[in-house]
Amino acid sequence: MLCERCKKNNATVFYRESINGKERSLSLCEECAEKARKNGELETEFPVDGFFTKPLMGVDKLFGSLFGFPQLVGQTTSDGKKCPLCGATFRDLMAEGKAGCPECYKTFSDELSSTISRIHGATTHTGGAPSRFKAGRDLKQKIRSLEKGIKTAVEEENYEEAARLRDELRAIRAEKGDEEK
Amino acid sequence: MKWYESCGKDRDVIVSSRVRLARNIVDYPFGDRLDDASKKEIIAKVKDALADGKEYVFRDFASLSETERIAAEEEHAVSPEFARGSGPRALIESADGTAFIMILEEDHIRIQTITPGFSLDEAFDKAREIDGKLDSKLNIAYDEKLGYLTHCPTNLGTGMRASVMMFLPGIAHSGDLRSLQNQLGKIGLTIRGMAGEGSSADGCLFQISNQVTLGVSEEETVAKLVQITERLIEQERTLRRKMYEADREALTDRIMRSYGVMLYATLVDTQELFRLYSDVRLGVSLGVIDCVTAERLDRILVKCMPAVLIRDNDGVRDARSRDRARAETIRRLLSGAPEGKK
Repeated sequence: MLCERCKKNNATVFYRESINGKERSLSLCEECAEKARKNGELETEFPVDGFFTKPLMGVDKLFGSLFGFPQLVGQTTSDGKKCPLCGATFRDLMAEGKAGCPECYKTFSDELSSTISRIHGATTHTGGAPSRFKAGRDLKQKIRSLEKGIKTAVEEENYEEAARLRDELRAIRAEKGDEEK
Repeated sequence: MKWYESCGKDRDVIVSSRVRLARNIVDYPFGDRLDDASKKEIIAKVKDALADGKEYVFRDFASLSETERIAAEEEHAVSPEFARGSGPRALIESADGTAFIMILEEDHIRIQTITPGFSLDEAFDKAREIDGKLDSKLNIAYDEKLGYLTHCPTNLGTGMRASVMMFLPGIAHSGDLRSLQNQLGKIGLTIRGMAGEGSSADGCLFQISNQVTLGVSEEETVAKLVQITERLIEQERTLRRKMYEADREALTDRIMRSYGVMLYATLVDTQELFRLYSDVRLGVSLGVIDCVTAERLDRILVKCMPAVLIRDNDGVRDARSRDRARAETIRRLLSGAPEGKK
């Protein structure tokens, strides 16, 4: 979709407002949006939650709009944070509606968390993992179960068992520490 | 064998089952941020990762003609984005014709398996097997909280899209599609017409798939889709029967007329093909027609798509020659030896 002002660049900022039943919508490129913002044409003071909960213009078709709301552009341009791997800014992510590289998810984890939770209704993966993570996952689970076992053993005053589990836990932690070095 | 060349479970309602896994390699950017040199590196890495066995065929997809690329899309081997995209990209196909690994689609790697009839578990197992092979050789981008990291955040988590292609003339006729769409949406599934959004003109073919990929495991995703599909199969069969009982004579007439056109027409366009396919496939499931199988009709549909026709038949260029070749292909495939039973 072309920017409706300059008719040259692709529109990446989609703006819609509804004031007392009067609707107005704009599809602009970054440049024209910036001009409009300076002219005070784009209201950017809306609370983010209110905006996000409103379904805007066939969101599923325009993934760009998952990120690309003007009030967020306003919030983040001052930040200037760049992804160390691909050099993308959060503004780039919003414009494209997609991450620049796998590392972007770490770099912009705070900025993206509400969007991700809105898309999926969840924030934490519960499915499979590559083999190199499976070992770590299993280890974490083992540590959690040992910690739980120690607690139960102490509660039951089974100190011998608690000591045995504690030693096992220490051994695992020592090994894990070595690995990390 | 390709999905349209073999029979499968519940073929009267389910055309094919598909599983797609989105995977990316760490340290490489996505999409437009990748330069051609990096793209070639990724292609080489994935090719090497699967080079062990002889069961894979590698194709430099960018070097194929437009006809060949679109034909691959029409056979459901690759996505429209992949077929119509630009820049270096490659396709690795399993020799048995059930798995397609698209390299440099939206994500670095898209594993897609497609199996005939209702066979989601089989499609899932095949996809997982390839995923395991790639995982053992490549550093796949993954985050403990967000799961598999993908170009688009809508695929985060499992990166999996499981789907069934359903033939739903009964449900489409009952006018319940809209409400089905709403119901499926509430449980995280989505339904789309084969070519257009919710269009019933595409041979009554609809694809149902999971929408959510984060916070649910792969097994849960497949199990839910299987459970809902089983219910839909029952509903569809009931509605077909009901439609038939409402006016047997009129429906039989419609089916037999379409079958007659398939047997004797000399020119058939794509739109008409979809209508004929839909009528005759319905006729087969109702027992009105017993000399052709559902899988044969699926094969006809694929073999009569525009780019496939141009690829497989010499001298086919313009619309007229395509319609002629389509009618010939239908007649030839209808008269062929039986290709398996339901």
